[in-house]
Amino acid sequence: MAVGQRTVDEETTPARGWGLNTWDSPWLNFKFLLGVAIVLLILLFGLVGPLFWDTDLAYTGAGPLNKPPVWAEGGLPEHPLGTESNGRDMLAQLILATPSSLKVGFLAAIIGMGVGMVLGSIAGYVGGWWDHVIRTISDSAITIPALVVLVVIASYVQMTDTTAMALILALFAWPGPTRLVRSQVLTLRERSYVRMAHLSGASALEIMFVEMLPNMLPWLAASLTGGISAAILGATGLEVLGLGPTRVPSLGLIINQATTNAALVRGLVWWWLPPIIILMVIFVGFFLMTIGLDEIANPRIRQFSSSRRERTAAGELPAVGLVDDGAGGEEDAALKVNDLHVHYFTPRGEVIAANGVNFKLRKGEILGLVGESGCGKTTVAMAILQVVQPPGRIVQGEVRIEDRDLVSLSGKALRQVRWRDLALVPQGAMNSLNPVTPIREQIADAILAHESIGRVELEQRILGLLNDVGLPERVISMFPHELSGGMKQRVCIAMSIALNPQVIIADEPTSALDVVVQRVVAQTLLEVKERLGVSMVMIGHDMGLQAQLVDRIAVMYAGNLVEVAPVESAFAEPLHPYTQLLIESIPSIKERKPLNVTEGLTHDLRDPPPGCIFQFRCKHVEQICRERRPALVERDKDHLAACWLYEPDRHSLIELEEA
Amino acid sequence: MRGLTKEYVLQRFLMYLLTIWMGTTLIFVIPRLAPGDPVSEMVGRLSLDAGYIENADKLIASWKARFGLDAPIHIQYLRYWGNVFRLNFGYSLSHFPTEAWSMVSKALPWSLGLLTVATVLSFSIGVTIGSLMGWRRTPRLLQMFLPSTLTFTAIPYFMFGIMLIYLVAFELDWLPATGAYSRRVDPGWNLPFIKNVLSHAILPVVSIVLTSMGGWALGMRGLMISVNNEDYFLLAQVKGLSPARIFFRYGVRNAILPALTALALGLGGLISGSILVEFIFAYPGTGYTLYQSIISQDYTVTQAIANLIIMVTATSVFLLDLLYPFIDPRITYKRNMR
Repeated sequence: MAVGQRTVDEETTPARGWGLNTWDSPWLNFKFLLGVAIVLLILLFGLVGPLFWDTDLAYTGAGPLNKPPVWAEGGLPEHPLGTESNGRDMLAQLILATPSSLKVGFLAAIIGMGVGMVLGSIAGYVGGWWDHVIRTISDSAITIPALVVLVVIASYVQMTDTTAMALILALFAWPGPTRLVRSQVLTLRERSYVRMAHLSGASALEIMFVEMLPNMLPWLAASLTGGISAAILGATGLEVLGLGPTRVPSLGLIINQATTNAALVRGLVWWWLPPIIILMVIFVGFFLMTIGLDEIANPRIRQFSSSRRERTAAGELPAVGLVDDGAGGEEDAALKVNDLHVHYFTPRGEVIAANGVNFKLRKGEILGLVGESGCGKTTVAMAILQVVQPPGRIVQGEVRIEDRDLVSLSGKALRQVRWRDLALVPQGAMNSLNPVTPIREQIADAILAHESIGRVELEQRILGLLNDVGLPERVISMFPHELSGGMKQRVCIAMSIALNPQVIIADEPTSALDVVVQRVVAQTLLEVKERLGVSMVMIGHDMGLQAQLVDRIAVMYAGNLVEVAPVESAFAEPLHPYTQLLIESIPSIKERKPLNVTEGLTHDLRDPPPGCIFQFRCKHVEQICRERRPALVERDKDHLAACWLYEPDRHSLIELEEA
Repeated sequence: MRGLTKEYVLQRFLMYLLTIWMGTTLIFVIPRLAPGDPVSEMVGRLSLDAGYIENADKLIASWKARFGLDAPIHIQYLRYWGNVFRLNFGYSLSHFPTEAWSMVSKALPWSLGLLTVATVLSFSIGVTIGSLMGWRRTPRLLQMFLPSTLTFTAIPYFMFGIMLIYLVAFELDWLPATGAYSRRVDPGWNLPFIKNVLSHAILPVVSIVLTSMGGWALGMRGLMISVNNEDYFLLAQVKGLSPARIFFRYGVRNAILPALTALALGLGGLISGSILVEFIFAYPGTGYTLYQSIISQDYTVTQAIANLIIMVTATSVFLLDLLYPFIDPRITYKRNMR
C-alpha cells in the first residue's frame, strides 16, 4: 500500500464562494488594473464632459468651419479641439460619441455572455444531444464573418439608435462565451471538489453558482472584456462605413465623415485623429484587461513570467560551492550525490525541497529512494538530471558520474552526458511521449543526438530495443495514443537503454499503472538491469514493490535522507522511527490490523525546525532532537541512519553544550 | 486509424454546410424580420431625399414584384436558395447589364491575394514570436525585445491603416495611398504592373499584419508555456537533444495545433476586418465592392458578395479542418474535444 497516494496535484486550489479580498489575490494584476483604470478614465470623460462643455456645439453649424485646435495657428479658444467642415465642435462631438461607443460594446457583450453562459452550461452540464447541437451550432456560427452579415443587415435596416445596433451585434457575441463556458464546465465537472458537492446532494444550480462560477470567473471576465472590444470594433466598423445610426454622434461616424470629406488629403488632422486616439486608448485598455485576466486565469503564464523575474532576483547561475572530496573513497560508485540542496524560490518564500542529500549509487545495484509525497524525492531525481524547473534551483552540491560533476556542466557538455551516461524512465509514461510523432522517431531522436548511424542500422537497433522490452515490432510506427499505459512505459524503458547508459533514474515507473501491469513493467526493468548491468535509482512510494526490486533503500523525509540501508536489514531492522512507520503501514493479509493513520508532513518546508526534522511525529523525541540535527552515520554494517536514538553519547553531547 | 476517416470528413462537411446555411439564412431572414421592408425603406429614403414621390405605393408594389418580395416567405426562401446554388444573383442594379456575379468575381482575386498574404504573414510571424516568448531558453536580449513587437496588437486594422495612409502616403509620400494599381500602368503580366500592384499592397498588408500578429503571438505564448510543463518536453531535455530540436519537434510542433484551430475559427473575424481595410485603402476587393454596392443600393451585388464571402470563409475553414488530422494524429480519436 502506498504511503501517499496523491501524486503531483495538477489542480490549483479551488476558489469557493466569492471572497476576493485578500492582498495577495491574483486579481491584483498590474495589467488588469491598468486596463480598468484606462477604461474608467475614458468613461469618466464621456460622463463628466457634458457638465463642463456645451454638447449642443456638436451639431451642424455650431461654429466656423475647419478651425484647427486652439494651440495651432488660427485656432479659437471657444473651440479648443477645433471644428470640422460642418462647423461642428470637435470636443463636444467627442464627449457625446465616447459613451455611446462604450455603451454598444457593453450591451452587446453582456447579452452575448448571458446567452453563452446559459447555452454553455447546458451543453457542458446536461451533455448528450443538447451538447452536440449547441456545440455544432456555436462552432459553425463562430466562423461566419460577422461584419459581412452586419453590413448586409445594416444596409436594409436603418438603425436608429445604439440599442438596436447592440442587439444586432449580440447575434455574433454568443458563440465565443458558449464555447468557453462549455469547456470550463466540462473540465470543472471532473474536479474532485465538484464531484464531492454533487455526491453531497447539491443541486445543479448550486454547484454551478457556488462551485463552478467562482472558478471560471477570470476566464469569463477575460471573455467579456474581449467580447466588449470585439463589439465596439464591430459597431465602429459599421459606423466607419456609414451604416450605423447617423443621427447619434459616434466615434466611428466622425471617422466616416472625416474620410468621406477627404480630411486626410486636406490635412484636417484634428478631425480624424482624435476619435482614432480615443478608440485606440479604449482598445488598449480592454486589451490590457484581457491579457491581465488571462494571466489571472492561467497560473502557468503567471508563474512563467514571475519565475523569470525571480530567477533574475535570485542570481542567474547556480552558486555551486562544495569542497571536492577528492572523488576517492569507494571506487565502485556509478553515481555520487554530494550535499545536494535544491530550493524553490516561490513568491511566499524559499521552499527547501532537498536539504543536503548525500548518497552513492554502487555499480550494478538498484537503489530505492522512498518517501511520502512532497518529501523531495522527485526533486532529487530532477536535480540529478539537471532539469529542476524554475522557480527551483540547485543552490549547492554535486552530482558526479565518473569524474564529472553534472551540476557544473552546461550546454553541449551536459547534452553529451545526458542519456549516454544518465537516462530516465519517467513518472507516468502517459505524457512522457511526444503525442504527435511515432515511436520510431522518439527513440531515434535519443540515438541520433549522440551517435551518427545509418537508417537501416537505426531501424534494426530500435526494433531490437522494442524486442528487449517485450514489445511487438509494429509498435515502431505507432503513435503514443495507440498504446496502452503499460506499453508506453515499456517504450520508455526501451528508450532509456538505447545508449546503454551507466545510470538510469526510474521515477515512479509503475505508479500510474494497474497492479498486473505494474508487475510486468517491474519485471521488464529487472531483466533489463540484469542483462545490461546498469545501475539504477528507483524512486517510489510503494514500499511493497520496493522490497521486491531494490538492493538498497534510501528513505527520505522533508528534503533529508533519514536512513540508507540494504533492503533486507531495512525491512528486518529499520532504525529510523520514520522508516519504522513506513514499514508498519504496509498492509498485510495474514495479519489484519488497523491502518496507522499518518498525518503527512508536519512542518513548513520554508522554515525547517532546528534539530531533527522528524521531531514532531516521532514517538521517541528527546531534548537533543529538538536542538541539533542528527547526521546520517553508519550505525550498523552498511546501515546508515540519521537519528539520535542510536547515539550512545547523546546525553553527554547536550550537557556539554549546556555547560 | 490515421489521417482522414470517413466519419471525420462527413462530420466536418456537415459543419461546413451548416455554416453556409446559417450565414446565408441570416442574410435572408434578418432584413425580413425587421420592421418595415427593404423596398418601403428604400422608397422612404428616396422620398426623404426628393421631398415627395408620386404613387409611392405603386412604386413599392412594382419593386416588390421585381425583387420577388410579393411571394410568401417560404417561396422566397426556396427561390433564394436556388439562386445561391446556381450562383445566380441577377443583374447588378447600378451597373446594368453587368451580372452581379461577374462584378463579384472581378473583385475576388484582389481580396484573396491580399488576405492570403496578410494572413500567412501575420500567422507565421506571430507564431514565431509567441513560441520564442514562451520558451525558457530564448536568449535574454530577445526576450526583452519581443514584447515590443506586440505594440499594435490592440489597435484595429483599419485605424492603423488610416494612420499609415496619413504618415507614409501623404506626409512622407513613399507609397501610394489607395487602389490596387495606378491608372498609368497596363494591367497584365509585365514587370511594371506587378511592381505597381505590390507597392499598392504594402500598406494594407502591413496594417493587417502588424495589428493582428500580436494576437497569434499571445496565444502561442500561452500554448508554449503549457508545453514547457509537459513530461515529454522534460524528457526531450533529459535525452540530450539539441535546443533547436526540442524547440521545433517537441515544443512548437505540439503548441501549434490549438493555434491552427484558432486560425480556422478566426478566419471569419479576419475577413470581417479586411472589409474595413479595403474600404480605407479603396482596394478593389470584395469588401470594397460590398461597401460600394451598399452605398449605391445595389442589392443583388450586396447579396452575391455577402454569400460569396461566407462561402469562401467556410471553405477555407473546411480545408483547414481536412488538413488538421495530418498534423495531429490524435484528431480522429478526440474529435469531440474541439
